Amino acid sequence: MMAAVGAPEVITQLESAAKVLMAPPSMVSTEQRQHAEHIFLSFRKSKSPFAICKHILETSKVDYVLFQAATAIMEAVVREWILLEKTSIESLRTFLLTYVLQRPNLQKYVREQILLAVAVIVKRGSLDKSINCKSIFHEVGQLISSGNPTVQTLACSILTALLSEFSSSSKTSSIGLSMEFHGSCKRLFQEEDLRQIFVLTMEVLQEFSRRENLNAQMSSVFQRYLALANQVLSWNFLPPNHILSFSKSAQNVTLKPTESWREALLDTRVMDLFFTVHRKIREDSDMAQDSLQCLAQLASMHGPIFPDESAQVSYLAHLVEGLLSMINGIEIEDSEAVGIANIISNLITMFPRSILTALPSDLFTSFINCLTLLTCSFGRSAALEEVLDKDDMVYMEAYDKLLESWLTLVQDEEHFPRGCFVQPAVQVFNSYIQCHLAAPDGTRNLSVSGIATHDEEEINELQEDDRELFSDQLSSVGMLGRVAADHLLTFRTQQQLMASSDPGSVDRKVLDDLYEDIHWLILVSGYLLADDPQGETPLIPSEVMEFSIKHSTEVDINTTLQILGSPGEKASSIPGCNRTDSVIRLLSAVLRTSEVESRATRASLTQLLSPQMGKDIVWFLRRWAKTYLLMDEKLYEQISIPLSTAFGPDTEGAQWIVGYLLEKVINNLSVWSSEPDLANDTVELLVTLVEKRERANIVVQCENWWNLAKQFASRSPPLHLLSRSVQRTLMKALVLGGFAHMDLDAKQQYWAEVLHPLQQRFLNLINQENFAQISQEEAVKQEIVATLEALCGIAEATQIDNVASLFSFLMDFLSSCIGLMEVYSNTPETINLIIEVFVEVAHKQICYLGETKSMKLYEACLTLLQVYSKNNLGRKRSDATAEEDQYQDLLLIMELLTNLLSKEFIDFSDTDEVFRGQEQGTPASSRTVSAADVVLYGVNIVLPLMSQDLLKFPSLCNQYYKLITFICEIFPEKIPQLPEDLFKSLMFSLELGMTSMSSEISQLCLEALSPLAEQCAKNQEKDTPLFIATRHFLKLVFDMLVLQKHNTEMTVAAGEALYTLVCLHQAEYSELVESLLSSQRDAVIYQRLADAFNKLTASSTPPAMDRKQKVAFLKSLEEFVANVGGLLCVK
Amino acid sequence: MADEFDFQTGESGASSTYPMQCSALRKNGFVVLKGRPCKIVEMSTSKTGKHGHAKVNLVGIDIFTNKKYEDMCPSTHNMDVPAIKRSEYQLVNINDGYMCLMDEHGEIREDLPVPNNDIGKDIEAKFEASEDFMVTVLSAMGEECAVGLKAMASK
Repeated sequence: MMAAVGAPEVITQLESAAKVLMAPPSMVSTEQRQHAEHIFLSFRKSKSPFAICKHILETSKVDYVLFQAATAIMEAVVREWILLEKTSIESLRTFLLTYVLQRPNLQKYVREQILLAVAVIVKRGSLDKSINCKSIFHEVGQLISSGNPTVQTLACSILTALLSEFSSSSKTSSIGLSMEFHGSCKRLFQEEDLRQIFVLTMEVLQEFSRRENLNAQMSSVFQRYLALANQVLSWNFLPPNHILSFSKSAQNVTLKPTESWREALLDTRVMDLFFTVHRKIREDSDMAQDSLQCLAQLASMHGPIFPDESAQVSYLAHLVEGLLSMINGIEIEDSEAVGIANIISNLITMFPRSILTALPSDLFTSFINCLTLLTCSFGRSAALEEVLDKDDMVYMEAYDKLLESWLTLVQDEEHFPRGCFVQPAVQVFNSYIQCHLAAPDGTRNLSVSGIATHDEEEINELQEDDRELFSDQLSSVGMLGRVAADHLLTFRTQQQLMASSDPGSVDRKVLDDLYEDIHWLILVSGYLLADDPQGETPLIPSEVMEFSIKHSTEVDINTTLQILGSPGEKASSIPGCNRTDSVIRLLSAVLRTSEVESRATRASLTQLLSPQMGKDIVWFLRRWAKTYLLMDEKLYEQISIPLSTAFGPDTEGAQWIVGYLLEKVINNLSVWSSEPDLANDTVELLVTLVEKRERANIVVQCENWWNLAKQFASRSPPLHLLSRSVQRTLMKALVLGGFAHMDLDAKQQYWAEVLHPLQQRFLNLINQENFAQISQEEAVKQEIVATLEALCGIAEATQIDNVASLFSFLMDFLSSCIGLMEVYSNTPETINLIIEVFVEVAHKQICYLGETKSMKLYEACLTLLQVYSKNNLGRKRSDATAEEDQYQDLLLIMELLTNLLSKEFIDFSDTDEVFRGQEQGTPASSRTVSAADVVLYGVNIVLPLMSQDLLKFPSLCNQYYKLITFICEIFPEKIPQLPEDLFKSLMFSLELGMTSMSSEISQLCLEALSPLAEQCAKNQEKDTPLFIATRHFLKLVFDMLVLQKHNTEMTVAAGEALYTLVCLHQAEYSELVESLLSSQRDAVIYQRLADAFNKLTASSTPPAMDRKQKVAFLKSLEEFVANVGGLLCVK
Repeated sequence: MADEFDFQTGESGASSTYPMQCSALRKNGFVVLKGRPCKIVEMSTSKTGKHGHAKVNLVGIDIFTNKKYEDMCPSTHNMDVPAIKRSEYQLVNINDGYMCLMDEHGEIREDLPVPNNDIGKDIEAKFEASEDFMVTVLSAMGEECAVGLKAMASK
């Protein structure tokens, strides 16, 4: 269309279209705008637009049209490359470059676009040996040496454009070529041209760094070249034999240049230049960021560039010297903090320990000293930032980085000279404590002027607790504290001091300061004494153990036990308190704090206490108890006598402390029912006490424990005031305790106290004749809810060795619960809770259940679903503004079904092994209900209710797709048997999930397709609904893989689905390929595609569903996508 | 069954509210705010300063009028919770804007008006269409109102 029109007309048309596009929204209609856009799009697609584009560039005055002309040239060159004469490409490139040079006043975006076109031409040409694009570097070199700032800026823009094109990252323009092409381009470029750019850049920086005064224009050129240097040093070097992937540009790329860079980068003058440059511009915060980043990149250098260790050592030595002399002479600017921390963190992470220790020892020492001072000083500034509530916490970020570096060093301590980190650790630890304590011991809340500030802000529940918020900092500091274990002593003294203060009638402000001090001291102590390993057995840190052993000869064990056992007395009042074990004294300091708290509650001073501190105390005690209480001596090579005497198995100390902790828990639960978080932490401490058999054995010997159980069973105050979730966890703890070692009588009595009242009350209630009438009374409802919560708690307490008795106990309830479904059909909260009981039982127990027991559970679940479905018939969910939690019942039902299905994946049952002796082996043939029946019945209920609107709720959507994928994978044979409309909506759900949901869900749906297709193949029946549906999916998956840009993570799932679908529908697949090929006009592309498709199926002809062929197909698919993916995926 | 005709309270002997510690309230539960029975639609805790005690912020919707109420109180305090009763009746007739309702024992009551809202419109429409359905009636603190309807469960 364009070609038919003369040049002036085209220009006029484009210029008026540009006017429309640039006009304010109110001036033009959407249609006009779309029309204008269309004009530009088809202009860019027109064949060989070079002559007219040149003409436009030379004559048009409209910037936007110039921009589009440059874009058109770029796209056309790539498109028509093979058809073009090499000489005309060269002259085109020369034309563009000259064009820009001659017009210094071009709009920036036009200029950049033209340079981008140049860079794309150079890149496309770099693999074409017939065309010489190398001359560009010569030309740029000349531009740089011109000394004219404008020209130099232009040169910098050219280099930047080249760099981003050749980096083959997400920034790179797509030119429809294979990854392989991009990869080899990149490799060629990084070996020669990139280095040349670096050399050019270094020359410019050298030149500028020598100048005395830089005017504004010069300094802006300087800045551009500095940024360019940073870009070069941040180049993500592609190692040989690595396949390029267009992953999102990784942040923090470390510098790993190839051997050929030795000369360019190992020259000490390069590093010196960057130090010099930084010194010169450090007051300019923007430029300083670039120069420090360059240094940080240099500090991360590693790989084949170093010929041997000695080269690496001398490089590092030079770096450290430069760094020290840079830091020592100056007062650090705010904007430098993060950059400097990055340099240090990089060099500590990247250089091997052997290289660090090979540094001259005085240099290493001064480096560590400097790091210590820097860390302390950043820590103080970070604390100030927090007080001032600054948005931009630069010192906090820098401090975090340095603490992390310390952690790396300290973890590799054995490589370094003995004890070399002790003093620094003491200093850093001290300064951390100091920053978090109030005056006079510390500096918290002191603003710059030295005046204490204090504000009472509202804190909402969403704010994270300090112990999570600062967990990284605290772990690092805790580690350092262990290194400096000797220092525990003074630290403890402070805490003692705090604990002895009496929170009597003091000013609230003073109290809050005290609480804040204690808060931080307890947090640090907790992180110091113990780790919190997820899912592993927590061990006493070796540093702490060694420390305690080392000092055990100076320790008087009896006095130590006395200190431990007397939390009500001042430690200093006990004679010989200095000759006691410090680890135990640290615990006893927390116990003293705890005792002060408990006494205050008994004196009705609860209002004056801090719930935050209460939380800290139980948190600490829980963390401590997990690790230290009744430690397993077999796990340690050597054991500290004081520790094993105080808390080891069969010790009085352990018994005493279990009793003390139990008392604390009971006291807290009655005093703090109104503080949900604190109550929760408290009940978790209780769970910790009973979840290990050894500890539970002692717990159940305490009278208090039995009192607690009785009190809870009687459902009287204060325990029934606790929130539901706390009550549930309390029940869990009580059940866990019941499996401790007791003699038979005691055990029977225990269950009689804990579980039987629950059962009795429940049965009495529901068996009352008038239950239906009184069921809506508030007291009755509460009783029912409490019972249901307790049942959930019991299910949560399931462990492999108690599942037998708990399952039987719970099964008795489940059928009564179903009865309640009818009674409370009008009370959704209760219905949800009933379903939740089933969910929990299935979740915790199904994996242990053998066949007969599972069947019982399936039956119960089936009945539940039947009642649920009956009650929901005709129910109208009228609320238009319904929120997610109003569909809680649906979510729970789906969860229940998924839990039942999970038996197919995780099954620990050993044909009723855990139940052996309990049942008279019902023959398996009497099997009445299967998991499939229950689940499909459930799906019958759920599917019609899951509308598209409901899928907008993320939790419902995820659970739903998880469920239907499971079903397709586990019971594909049941799918064809579904009623027609259910089948249709299931298929529709799959399609919807594949095409318009998150990639995670799309992946789930793809995984569901293979089993379905296999099912069809097995049946060999054509024209069944499932067969037809899979044919439709073939096209969907085909389009998804071949035509659309898709997530590379999905290639495997989509590929597997595609393969089974191709096997099933070979003819349709061939048709799809044919129609795709026939739509290609370009003969070259046609051939490439045809070849690629042939190759794709070559290894699997005829396609058959066997693993080997499938794997071969997946491999070819990967190549296919890499080769022609870019061709078909039009961007 | 002596109280059958006592339409004022609809409940025999049971107190219309009972106290509960604020922290034990739950979202989607009920509470009395500004003297009105409300369903809790939002509940959050906050504290003044890091070492302050928990306070509970409540947003509730009047179960009869749908008006929104808010309140905040220390979590140790007791709040009144309304005793809520739901009953289902079969709709027999509509007379002058009043519903004629039959309970499961066949007893008829005619004291409740068709509510002036979407539910009410629904009830009238279904009634006009001669459909058989149940009306859910909520009662609390001496007030009663139809709040929903559902098709007859097939027996």
